Amino acid sequence: MEERFIIELTQSLKNFLPEVSLTVTLSLVILLDLIFGRRFKNIGAFVSLAGLVVTLFFTIKQYGGSYQIFRGMFVVDPYSTFFKFVFLLSAFVIVIFSLQSYELRETSARRRIGEYYFFILSLTLGAFLMAGSVNLIMMYLSLELVSISSYILAGYIKESERSSEASMKYVIYGALSSGLMIYGISLVYGLTGELNIYAINASFLSSGYSPIVLMISLVLILAGFGYKISAVPFHYWTPDVYEGAPITVTAFLSVSSKAAGFAMLVRFLKASFIDRTITLGIEGAWAVIQGLPLTEIVAVLSALTMTVGNIIAIWQNNLKRMLAYSSIAHAGYILMGVVVMQNLGISAMLIYFLAYLFMNLGAFYCVMLVAEKTGSEDIEVYKGLGYRAPFLSIVFTIFLVSLTGIPPTFGFIGKLYLFSALINAKVIWLAVVGVLNSVVSLYYYIRVVRNMFLGDPESGKEPINFSPAHIVVMLILVIPTLLFGVYFTPIVNFAQISVAMFGLR
Amino acid sequence: MSLFDVAFYVLAFITVGSAIVVVSSRNIIYSAFALLFTFFGVAGLYVLLNADFIAVTQVLIYVGGILVLIIFGVMLTTKVFDVPVKTETLHVGPAIVVTGAIMGTLFGVILKTKWFDILNVQWDGTTKKIGERLMTDFLLPFEVASVVLLVALLGAVIIARRERVKS
Amino acid sequence: MIPLSWYLFLSLILFTIGVLGVLIRRNAIVIFMCIELMLNSVNLALVGFSSYIGNEIGQMLVFFVLVVAAAEVSVGLAIIIAIFRNRLTVNIDEINLLKW
Repeated sequence: MEERFIIELTQSLKNFLPEVSLTVTLSLVILLDLIFGRRFKNIGAFVSLAGLVVTLFFTIKQYGGSYQIFRGMFVVDPYSTFFKFVFLLSAFVIVIFSLQSYELRETSARRRIGEYYFFILSLTLGAFLMAGSVNLIMMYLSLELVSISSYILAGYIKESERSSEASMKYVIYGALSSGLMIYGISLVYGLTGELNIYAINASFLSSGYSPIVLMISLVLILAGFGYKISAVPFHYWTPDVYEGAPITVTAFLSVSSKAAGFAMLVRFLKASFIDRTITLGIEGAWAVIQGLPLTEIVAVLSALTMTVGNIIAIWQNNLKRMLAYSSIAHAGYILMGVVVMQNLGISAMLIYFLAYLFMNLGAFYCVMLVAEKTGSEDIEVYKGLGYRAPFLSIVFTIFLVSLTGIPPTFGFIGKLYLFSALINAKVIWLAVVGVLNSVVSLYYYIRVVRNMFLGDPESGKEPINFSPAHIVVMLILVIPTLLFGVYFTPIVNFAQISVAMFGLR
Repeated sequence: MSLFDVAFYVLAFITVGSAIVVVSSRNIIYSAFALLFTFFGVAGLYVLLNADFIAVTQVLIYVGGILVLIIFGVMLTTKVFDVPVKTETLHVGPAIVVTGAIMGTLFGVILKTKWFDILNVQWDGTTKKIGERLMTDFLLPFEVASVVLLVALLGAVIIARRERVKS
Repeated sequence: MIPLSWYLFLSLILFTIGVLGVLIRRNAIVIFMCIELMLNSVNLALVGFSSYIGNEIGQMLVFFVLVVAAAEVSVGLAIIIAIFRNRLTVNIDEINLLKW
């Protein structure tokens, strides 16, 4: 009995190596920073980078397998592994950003820089766990791990009142919505007596359920997810936190925490509320269990999210705040992939996440560099920037064009697949809303570009120079944005085989 | 009405009554102390529900940990002896409407649904069962919880620590 | 004998009081107390379900909710203390550098 358990445990640990290596790295970061932190300021960053590379190695080795470990608490499958790549890439890029960030260098945060990388890694660990959790306990815990790390990161620059204020609003909204979510979870438990999402599904199918309770608990649970992905009724924290937090943290939250929320949301919906005994005509289509208006709920959420995000973004003059609303809008676009309730939509969502990773991190990087050189994130300082810093302006324009979804960029490919999945599933009205929203978003993205290139060039300010390191980082982000806009077949194939989830068709 | 029922009503009354005081009291210290009674009331209800381990944990963690933490928070952020410790409210109307709607729906739902309704299981102490589960089926969440606590611990220290200002 | 739904109603009442408190109070510490009320009500519902269903999984979840509540409240209070050092107020509507 005990021996069997030990064998089982070692088996599980073998398939848990990416998470284990992240945990080891974060402990090492804190220890080494304590010992050597005075002599080598950036030791935390380099240990983190090394740890992330090791984790990437284990994650690549894991790709393709599909099994559950730790007695059905956690699964390893292509779907979660795909998201792990996204988290690793974004953590890697963010650590490099942080090495160059003036905010972390010139404030009191420099005395706490080792711990900063610790929290970046703990957030990544939480995101990893969110992607693979199949038990509501694990889902709740890993969501909280991500949340708590991000509360701390958002308030990292203590002397900045904006930063600590952002952090406080984040905690209050976060605690409220996770409270709603856990209430929903308790109702699901009351209905089924189970917390494993496969067992919950089996219980729904075998012993029946009342659709009304199910809908209420689904809406309550969606409050928790909606807060993580900043979908509209739960988006209030987003602009404040994105504006108040250090830029590196904002960029990180906008990619990793959102992707983790989506990864968990889709797995939860697909595993718990889909009747797999029914086969629909279309390949890879899901049949929602009877009486639950799941598609409609998500569709309304998606339409609201993108419309509110885009319309409020028009009025923003602070670039960080504008990008915050734009990231809300993007959550709405990505939700379109969920509305489809087909594997096709999920693969479109995965493609979009890769595109979003490069273009969004790139846009935030440009804002960070401009803020460092000019001391402001206001749209006014972008006037005539095209003449003072031509390279940065062109790169920034590419990111904005990609965020709008205009060819030949990666963002266009992402949107193309999302819209074609929608049209394929005949959800035409949402596709129309999506297209209209893209037109609205064009307005505020192009406003920045217009300011850069058509603003007064005669102001006679001296040109801004960037170090080679800055240019290299910009190139690393801009090349994929353009390259995958043209040469996208491998990405699409990769996404299409990555929709496979453990135990689900 | 059995003794059991009487105990339920008394505990329910204590819990709800003190919860109302927590929310409505204008003095933050009163709120904190009312919270103490809510926690004890809930712990008593756990005992009625045969959840001995959770009842003890409730008293240890909520009363012994969280409440003490909250009272420390109150002490550190208010000059108790200088300013009257008053707290006010904002936009009461809309909040009552919204929560009222949610509560009404949930009330109807709970009333209509057929839950498991017979307490037919004989529990002889849940501690052993919970302990075994924690070390086998729930090993991963148990370990993850330790990471969560480590992160919270470090974060709280980092954020609340006073910076040494070198001028 | 008390039926399960009574515990559920009790939990619902507690939950509503908690949510109402979060929405109407402006002192951040009181808001945290109300969040604790919400979590307590959830725990009560979970323990009720667990006892009447007859498996202890619900009580396991309660255990983890307790852990998370402790973690959340410690981080939240640390942030409140940091803000108080800067501003000398804990009322959330006076903390309005960023628009709500």
